[in-house]
Amino acid sequence: MAANEATRPRVGSHLFLMLLLVAFLFPVGWALLSAFKPAEDIVRAPLAFDPSTFNLDNYTAMFQDVPIGQGFLNTAVVLLFKGACTMFFAPLAALAFAKYQWIGKNLVFGAVLVTLMLPTIVLIIPLLLEMKELGWVNTYQALILPGAVDAFAIFWMRQVISAVPDELLDAARVDGCGEFAIFWRVVVPVIRPGLAGLGVLTVMNIYNDFVWPVVAASNERMATLQVVLSTLAQNITGNRIGADYAAVTGELLAASSVALIPLLVLFILLQRHFINGILAGSVKG
Amino acid sequence: MQRHLLRRRALIASAGLAAAAPALAACGPDIASDDESGASELLKAPDRTKGEITIWDRSGDLFEVFEGTIAAFNAKYPDITVNHVAVDIDAKLQNTLITGADVPDGVFLDDAKVGGFTDYLWDLGDVLAPYAADIAQQKLDVNTVAGGVYGVPFDLDPGLLFYNATALEAAGIDVDAIATYDDLLQAARDYQAAVPGAAPIHLEQSAFLGQLQLEMYASQLGTSIADADGNLRLDTPEFEQILTFLDTVRAEGLGTRAEYLTPTDIAELDNGNQVFYPWAIWFSFAPQQVLTETTGDWRATQLPAWETGGARSGAMGGSSFVLPKDGKNADLAWLFYEFLMFDPAGYAAVWGPGEVYPEGLATSIPSYTPAADPAKPLYSEITALGGQDLWTVATEAGAQIPGGTPTPAWWTGAVDYLGNNVQRMLDGDMTPQEVLAQSSEDIQTNLVDRQ
Amino acid sequence: MTAPTATATRRAPRAGRGTARLRRRAAPYLFVLPFVAIFAAFSVYPLFFTARLSFTDWRGTGAATWVGWDNYTYLLTNPAFWSSLGNSAILWLLIVPVQIVLGILVAVLLNNAKLRLRGLYRVAFIVPFVTPLVAVAQIWVVLFDQRYGAVNAFLGLFGLPDTGWLTTSAWAKPTLALLFLWKTTGFIVIILLSGLQSINASIYEAADLDGASKARQLWNITVPLLRRTIGFAVVLQTLAVFQMFAEPFVVTQGGPYNSTTTAGYYLYNHITRADLGTGAANSFLLVVLVMALSLLFVRLLRAKD
Repeated sequence: MAANEATRPRVGSHLFLMLLLVAFLFPVGWALLSAFKPAEDIVRAPLAFDPSTFNLDNYTAMFQDVPIGQGFLNTAVVLLFKGACTMFFAPLAALAFAKYQWIGKNLVFGAVLVTLMLPTIVLIIPLLLEMKELGWVNTYQALILPGAVDAFAIFWMRQVISAVPDELLDAARVDGCGEFAIFWRVVVPVIRPGLAGLGVLTVMNIYNDFVWPVVAASNERMATLQVVLSTLAQNITGNRIGADYAAVTGELLAASSVALIPLLVLFILLQRHFINGILAGSVKG
Repeated sequence: MQRHLLRRRALIASAGLAAAAPALAACGPDIASDDESGASELLKAPDRTKGEITIWDRSGDLFEVFEGTIAAFNAKYPDITVNHVAVDIDAKLQNTLITGADVPDGVFLDDAKVGGFTDYLWDLGDVLAPYAADIAQQKLDVNTVAGGVYGVPFDLDPGLLFYNATALEAAGIDVDAIATYDDLLQAARDYQAAVPGAAPIHLEQSAFLGQLQLEMYASQLGTSIADADGNLRLDTPEFEQILTFLDTVRAEGLGTRAEYLTPTDIAELDNGNQVFYPWAIWFSFAPQQVLTETTGDWRATQLPAWETGGARSGAMGGSSFVLPKDGKNADLAWLFYEFLMFDPAGYAAVWGPGEVYPEGLATSIPSYTPAADPAKPLYSEITALGGQDLWTVATEAGAQIPGGTPTPAWWTGAVDYLGNNVQRMLDGDMTPQEVLAQSSEDIQTNLVDRQ
Repeated sequence: MTAPTATATRRAPRAGRGTARLRRRAAPYLFVLPFVAIFAAFSVYPLFFTARLSFTDWRGTGAATWVGWDNYTYLLTNPAFWSSLGNSAILWLLIVPVQIVLGILVAVLLNNAKLRLRGLYRVAFIVPFVTPLVAVAQIWVVLFDQRYGAVNAFLGLFGLPDTGWLTTSAWAKPTLALLFLWKTTGFIVIILLSGLQSINASIYEAADLDGASKARQLWNITVPLLRRTIGFAVVLQTLAVFQMFAEPFVVTQGGPYNSTTTAGYYLYNHITRADLGTGAANSFLLVVLVMALSLLFVRLLRAKD
């Protein structure tokens, strides 16, 4: 292949990727920067950025009006427990699907698929009534337990664990390892990259989940970060009459920035693990 | 269609789940039970004045206003602790009422939504009885469902004609001469002739607020979307007259189509293109807190009449306080609202000058007539209205609002039909007659027949 | 996605053979137990409750009245129900094909180890996926505002007229689809990238020797070999699009004129009106539809194997 033929498409692909890059980063960058603008300017001149007018007013107003600290705390609790459940029990279940023969396997795997297909919104009301029966409304367990062992995580870990050679498991058995020890001492270390990917994905899903939390946490002391954000957003979208559109938008962008930054930092720090982790769970072509 | 009480077994069998019946017998919360056992639905005033109440308000200006009244309330009832929370009421209330967990004792609710929740609310007929004769009829009507009163009426929101006095004067338009909607159309034409490119009259683009404004026009004519028995009365000459007016504004290019106080709307108000805003008194929020260029230029006057001598105002929106039956101290919450609405110290704390509105809560007037006395203003000159005495304008308008305009339980649901169809008309895609016929049919099948 | 067989059964450990075998038999049941417990408690139980509810007119309080198939016939004869499915179908058309094509192109480019700034691209494309939806929604509302939005301001530079992106029924769906594309394409890219990594590079070397153009290679080699991964992505996104609720909930509230009332959002409308019986019936219809679609795609994939 001639040299110029090899380079020409590369320029084109860079151009294509750069355009996409701008399109993908622009909205987030715009939001992060706009949060520092005077509220009226955000909506009246969304493309103008005059650093001399930058201030922290939106942040001050937001911290004053919005219980964002409480939101962080609740999200942290849910993240810790729900995340732990998925990170532990999903690979465990996946191991059963990937490496064991047992009666009812297809049936239970069917249950995993069904869970994947069930829209959250379908279960909202019956789940809420169930929480009522259990006396769990406005409790952490209501936020944590439904969906605590994520179906997608099982599905994905099953792929990852399938790639682990059976010989490795057998060797451990020969050494007298119990079945759980095989999981803990053999499988888990081998699939660590996949688990890292799962970890980031799980954190992201739980952190950004809001349909069920909005319903399950009617009391503001239980409101997660996303519930706090959506309550704020309702001031704009829900025909809120006595709310200043620009001011609320400013507060929302400030709150969104505060909510986004931890996840963004986490992701940038762990992106190699995340991406390699997903690659580890590849659905083979 | 034969309807009978739900029986588990029959239901399971017909759901094709008979095989699983034994296991399912205990499945799912028992939806057939009703443990109210005929207990009275009528709230009784408490014989105690000690306890804690949880009060929900929507966030925004009114939350701050009510927050500021708690001190005055505690001056009278020092032993009642008010736990005041800003809540996204639309998203939370229904679920909270269904689950019955952590139910607040009192909730701020749009009048149009009260009807949808009456199953869960105390009937306030008894406690309101001493005041009922002095409450604006329109507010009692919207809170009354099947003989029960389910909300403590809060504000009365007379529709007013807001106008940009400076701009209109410069164009030589005499607002005082506008007595009917035909006059308003003429004034708009004249303004447009003087200011080319102007689109003087506001045309609401939100389906919900558009329907609310439609009800304001209808209220002027003493009618509403449904009568007290819940029967539709939409396909009537009154509504046709209103829609024809709106359609004329559209057809002649006299209207600015925008959603209430979104950036576009604000810009058109501030640049003098949009100078007539027939809206509830709460529009005064705009010149007070949102408009920058034209604050101080705006004034309010009574609405034009639909025919000479007709009522010069109608009600638009407004809210009430509801007391859920599952609220543990709903009776104490009643004391809170009784104080705020009917005690001179209370309504002075609500409508008088405060932190959020230094000149008073000039976005509404009390619905309790003794509080809305033109002679005893709770607020008066509003700087943003060029020092106009809004209290007098509003109380005089409020006194003209005809009663007999109840709100059906399905009012918000109707936005999908009536609200949307009005917008289609403003797009030029439907005629007023089509809007009324189509909406009536859809509302009848999807809402009235499915109650 | 083949289920591996436990080849290990052939070799059994010497000591404690009986208990070890028993343990090994019992292990998978214990391993899936937590999932099954959660599934039974928070999926099966509510689903049966939904089934019961769908034959009543229950409004959340008081006694429920048995109405037979009323709720189902109401929905199936209601144009609004069908139009909600239609809206979801149109969104699917606007999203999935575009996303797959875009995803393959980007994944193929990023798969080139010599690509400069590869790390930057990989991070950049996944950033939207990390961003909270509630925040994105408001960003969208402001950026796509007809008069002040950055999008119209940008298009105005080329002399294009202002478009009511979120206020006209013609544009609201594409705008919502764009949000969905923006938010999830990065994830699809990574999934496709994972499929690409399992393709043996020697195949391309052979094709290069044969003089096949890059475009031809993409179409004749990459796409067929990626078929299963692509299928996986399609199923995943089909589920997501037909379950879509949060996006219209936060951006358009189903409007204008119900043009973004997706299947999921239409269902939510019943709930907000406390018409829980109809909501339950709608839930069932939606579940059946989503499952049927997933099975259909899985079948289509299998048929090609």
